[in-house]
Amino acid sequence: MEAAAEMYQAFRERADGVALGAQPLVGLFGDGIPEALVSASDARPVDVKAPPLADGRGGPIFPAVSAVVERFMDDFATRFLHRLAAGAFDKFDLIVFARDDVAALTAYQYAQELRRQGAIPDQTPRFHLWNFIHTDSDAAEAFNRLELDRLTQTLCEVSGTTLCQDTLAEAVKTEKVRATILDQFDVHDAETFVWRNAGRWMTAGRHVELLREIPVKASEQDNRRIGLVGTACDLPVLHEVCGSFGTVVADLQPYGQVWPANNSGPEDTVGMLRHLARYPLHIRTNPPGRYTDMLIEKLAGCDLVVSSVDRNDDSFGWEVPVLRQRLAATGTTVVDLGFRPFRPGPDWIETAREAIQEALQ
Amino acid sequence: MTCAEAATAFQRDWLKTLRTKIRNGEDYAFVNADTPHELFHFMDVPMVTNQWWSAVISAKQLAPHYFDFMEEYGLHSHLPRYSSLPLVAQIEGDTDRQPWGGLPSPALLCARQSSDEHGRIFQRWSDLTGAPLHLLSAPAVVDPVPNWWEAARDDWETLYGTARLDLMVSEMQDLITALEKLTGRRFDEDKFATYMAKIDRQEKVLEDIAHMIATAPQVPMRISEQMPNVMIPQWHRGTDWALAHVEAFRDEVGERINAGLAECPGEQIRMMWIGAGLWFDTSFYRAFEDSHGAIFAWSMYLPFAADGYIREDKGDPLRALAARVSAMNEQLHQPPWVNAWMVEQAKRFRIDVALMLIPEHDRFSGYGSLFAKQALEAAGVRVIEVWSDMVDPREWNREAVTAEVGTALDDYLREVA
Repeated sequence: MEAAAEMYQAFRERADGVALGAQPLVGLFGDGIPEALVSASDARPVDVKAPPLADGRGGPIFPAVSAVVERFMDDFATRFLHRLAAGAFDKFDLIVFARDDVAALTAYQYAQELRRQGAIPDQTPRFHLWNFIHTDSDAAEAFNRLELDRLTQTLCEVSGTTLCQDTLAEAVKTEKVRATILDQFDVHDAETFVWRNAGRWMTAGRHVELLREIPVKASEQDNRRIGLVGTACDLPVLHEVCGSFGTVVADLQPYGQVWPANNSGPEDTVGMLRHLARYPLHIRTNPPGRYTDMLIEKLAGCDLVVSSVDRNDDSFGWEVPVLRQRLAATGTTVVDLGFRPFRPGPDWIETAREAIQEALQ
Repeated sequence: MTCAEAATAFQRDWLKTLRTKIRNGEDYAFVNADTPHELFHFMDVPMVTNQWWSAVISAKQLAPHYFDFMEEYGLHSHLPRYSSLPLVAQIEGDTDRQPWGGLPSPALLCARQSSDEHGRIFQRWSDLTGAPLHLLSAPAVVDPVPNWWEAARDDWETLYGTARLDLMVSEMQDLITALEKLTGRRFDEDKFATYMAKIDRQEKVLEDIAHMIATAPQVPMRISEQMPNVMIPQWHRGTDWALAHVEAFRDEVGERINAGLAECPGEQIRMMWIGAGLWFDTSFYRAFEDSHGAIFAWSMYLPFAADGYIREDKGDPLRALAARVSAMNEQLHQPPWVNAWMVEQAKRFRIDVALMLIPEHDRFSGYGSLFAKQALEAAGVRVIEVWSDMVDPREWNREAVTAEVGTALDDYLREVA
């Protein structure tokens, strides 16, 4: 299978397409978990937050889950819980939830409670909450180090290995190679979105092999420069919409940032922790002003910024008026598309297109 | 109740003094409800609580104006409202419209990151006013036991986790340093221990009152009277006035029970009000007394005074305070804590029907609702969902909700007849 086709397949099938091999599967719910740590523990990290594309056309609905999920719950969390109840993750040994992901704490707590009540099977996978905090004080670092110890211990129990620094350094190096290749894609169109995110469902090594076969795309200098901001969207919907208006050069939404490999950092565990704690584009970065400043910095030079959020957004919406004010000073237009459905249909896409068109007139 | 009047009068005077102090330029802190207020009280720093100020704005029927403005300003309509109303009023900027003529810039801002919006709301306050921001981390309890209230008093180290408490203590020490700098006063640990012990005494009196109301043959007072008698001394917890007030409150409740007083003489249904107050329409709590003999016996504020606050100091009152604060809000909203506690409370107060406020846009307060509903129903309690915000009346249709609840109560009465 050619590289692009293999990546498309991984992107489409997601966790369902990952076969259990020699290594135990470790599901990751939410960004902020150092994938290299999982790989170095002789386990395979796999994103479980974004459901397979086919899930949007008749994914499982479990009454026991429906009975406790409030109608305002995050769609990623809701779909995860239904799929969990349906056994979609039975092949996994462990699922790690990143507490600071906007949907993960609820997904973790509801999954735990459903299991405690016997509403879902009390077997595999094991659940682990990665309780990391994005503050770089000494106290926070001490706390995060204990969290790292706890996660390392869980990973080692799952894989039956011990973590050694050399293996970790090797895993980080592979992540960095991947990051370097991804950095060369300075166009964020629908195709590169798929190639980039396909890595969530394949090993870093395989992803690197496939990316090397893909010709690098460079942005056209005279095109309108567009930035995307907002809450997590695991589909390249806006990339397709924006393609007719210019080139997306900055995609700062959670599935659009430089991913995977943004969590790797230095090759030692302490360095990795500090890198994670200070990573400014995490929505839970403390102080939050650091996140705003980094958004502005990354959007510098954009002619147009397009914002959209989930209906259950508690965080990003607070940024929009500030972005609008600060970017206006540099002549950047901000188009606020408002709420973006979990699986946007043709009507929403057309409305989005019209809103952008109108803003540009 | 005499006590409710006394508490309200005290608070009115106290607020007048606070308002004067603030208008005269005295430093004050603007803080979230789930932060360690004890540190501000003890260091004698006047404090305005975000959610209280939100309730004040709402009670003055100003919320619709501000929430309309919020959307015009570019903040989307699904953002949480309870915590954001004061910020929106501040951004809108017309101080003549606001209670007290608005709030001047605080000297310090403090919030816990227990919910996604808190950090951002307080960051915006800081951007607007230039006030320094203290954000307390809120990592989760990884493996929460359902019956948290049993361990919370004396085994809180195990319950909340040593690493979490270490972190909270450290962040509170930073806050203390800021308060020392602000006031020019030293934090006296011995006196703080005495102050914390007094708070525990106060909460134990409130616990006695909760027990009296739970076991009384009929409900001796409305929750609208419970609330000022609990919330005002809680605001002033650890002061001589607060302790004296809750003791007087206990005596008055005792007298009422001994005299056989029933607030709803035809009492047929004992209800619990789950969630924060319906601050723009508090008379709703009485809506079913005449029609159905249905009276609220329970709101969270009284029983939570004991379960949420009493923490044995174990020779380290600052750590005990960390234990009190480190999961304060979470216990009321996250499974398995919320469902287990609701069932325990419903049994204790002999509840027949629960009205559950589910705020769609304050998701942190809304999560766990359906787990709690399921658990209460399994325990034999009829649960009626009330989908409404606490401070935004724009989508509140009292007539429709009253009719809906009335029908459910009719059904209940028919079934138990």
